[in-house]
Amino acid sequence: MAFQTQGSNLRALLVEDIKVNRMILSQMLRKFQVETTVVQNGKEAVELFLGGETFDIVLTDNLMPIMTGPEAISKIRAMGATDVMIVGVSVDANSMEEFKDAGADLCVPKLKLEILEHILQETRSKKNKSSA
Amino acid sequence: MPTIGFAFEESIVSTPRLPIGRCTLLPLLDPSRMSLERIVSRVTSNQSRKLAVGKGYLDEQFCQVEDLQDEASPNFVEEVVTLFFKDSGRLMSNIEQALEKYPRDFNRWDTYMQQLKGSCSSIGASRMKNECMSFRDSCGQGNVEGCMRSFQKVKREHAVLRQKLESYFQLLRQAGPAGAATRPVM
Repeated sequence: MAFQTQGSNLRALLVEDIKVNRMILSQMLRKFQVETTVVQNGKEAVELFLGGETFDIVLTDNLMPIMTGPEAISKIRAMGATDVMIVGVSVDANSMEEFKDAGADLCVPKLKLEILEHILQETRSKKNKSSA
Repeated sequence: MPTIGFAFEESIVSTPRLPIGRCTLLPLLDPSRMSLERIVSRVTSNQSRKLAVGKGYLDEQFCQVEDLQDEASPNFVEEVVTLFFKDSGRLMSNIEQALEKYPRDFNRWDTYMQQLKGSCSSIGASRMKNECMSFRDSCGQGNVEGCMRSFQKVKREHAVLRQKLESYFQLLRQAGPAGAATRPVM
């Protein structure tokens, strides 16, 4: 599989409490040369945004200790971070609604390389349009 | 006469787009350049993997993990699997303690098992994942015996999967890198 980067330079925030999932998702993002920051729960994600960090895309799990993905998304959106692409990743059927209600752009049950490629292309287009 | 051929293994778990065989391209070097021992090891390791997949221990997600291995991360699959067994061992120990120390605390039990299930799902450990789901169903029903039974099955599936993957990686190590050529066996 050829991984298109198109001069990526996308910055991603990965929010995931399960170590194995962090390892796999980080590797997926590395394949697309995305600069990735990894945190273990929603609270850490929110703290990064509060600290002035910016990202092009946030990939977040739903159920995590301390703060869930949807809770974090609500707070991030409430801060005015409306441009960042936020993707909820969860196999749980109920999660989709929770993610969407919180302000996620997209919810996927499982992140596969082909799906991630499309999401990153979409993120890149969105970024290019807003900087034009 | 070409010196490199490929054996593309047939999928034994059908998927709509991506047969499992696509991630097990076997470069079969000219036999005179690769020792027979290596060829046998490579074929055997792939058979071992096919068996694990065929019996439902692993699903297509494992192929997704394999696809992530590359020159920059040549041992990625084994590293992920190693992390999985380390982390799942810890989670199972937490569950075992919780079952003893916190009787009928289904929320707590379920939270631990939800993490284990997520981990199983990520590497394609399908049988183990199914037993995790049974445990969670029993939690939802407030069924202590059901939880206990399911947890024993989770432990069994964990042990079997570990054994199978250990064998698989051992065979892979014996086979050596796919592109390696060796002196002809004299």
